[in-house]
Amino acid sequence: MTTAAEVLAAEHAAIYAYGVIGAHLTGAAATAARDAEAAHRARRDALGRQVIAAGATPTPADPAYALPFPVTDQASALRLAVQTEERTGAVWRSALATTSGDERQAALDALVDCAIRATRFRRAAGVTPATVTFPGRPG
Amino acid sequence: MLRATAALAAAPLAGCGLFDREDPERDDPLDPLLAATVRLAAEYDAVIAAQPALAERLTPLRDAHRAHAKALAQLIGRPASSLSASPVPSSPPGDPSAALAHLQAAEKAGQDQAAAACLAAPADRTALLGSITAARATHQEVLR
Repeated sequence: MTTAAEVLAAEHAAIYAYGVIGAHLTGAAATAARDAEAAHRARRDALGRQVIAAGATPTPADPAYALPFPVTDQASALRLAVQTEERTGAVWRSALATTSGDERQAALDALVDCAIRATRFRRAAGVTPATVTFPGRPG
Repeated sequence: MLRATAALAAAPLAGCGLFDREDPERDDPLDPLLAATVRLAAEYDAVIAAQPALAERLTPLRDAHRAHAKALAQLIGRPASSLSASPVPSSPPGDPSAALAHLQAAEKAGQDQAAAACLAAPADRTALLGSITAARATHQEVLR
């Protein structure tokens, strides 16, 4: 059962990751990271409004999140960007089952957006193939 | 029950509405998506055959459609024979950029079809349909 609070937590973590990622990228990759971060912020804000509308208080972001590996250069920053999109997409994918109507549409849009950005970052990192067979599927 | 199944296999009566949900011959709302997914893989086969230079780029996408078809067939209880494609109706465009544009359009239509199926599906089918939708969006990204 994936709740709005869980996808909100995933978006908080993604925004934190992009703060680290952006510091190690330049040029087109930096622009792509800024765009991705803006997309995650927009979804975080929408989720926060949704949680408030449901009568609850949105959980704020943690001050810091553990990264899966050290980010020290462009290559590791791109790798983290790919992983961030994959993980966030997976949470949105599991939210499909617990939503309907407009909320499911929003979850599907988010999954698609994360999958496209993951593909772009794989290409920027020279990963082939740049696509995966089942975007959002764990493992 | 076994006898009934054997009789059906001998004389398929798809879509007549006489059978319960356990019946392999019943219509499923995902049958059109399965058929279109098999066709999409066949479109790639045709382009790869006509444009060998594109094979390296297109083969992973073709394989993804085959994997999607297999997963869909399993989800809705269709036999492996449902995965064999009828010949692609029209031959693919002759030059590489037109062939890529042709696949791009097919992927966009396929994304829309999978998204509509995902939005209409019961909860237990949404994950696969969401992944198929997203995969088709990423394919358009690498066909550009």
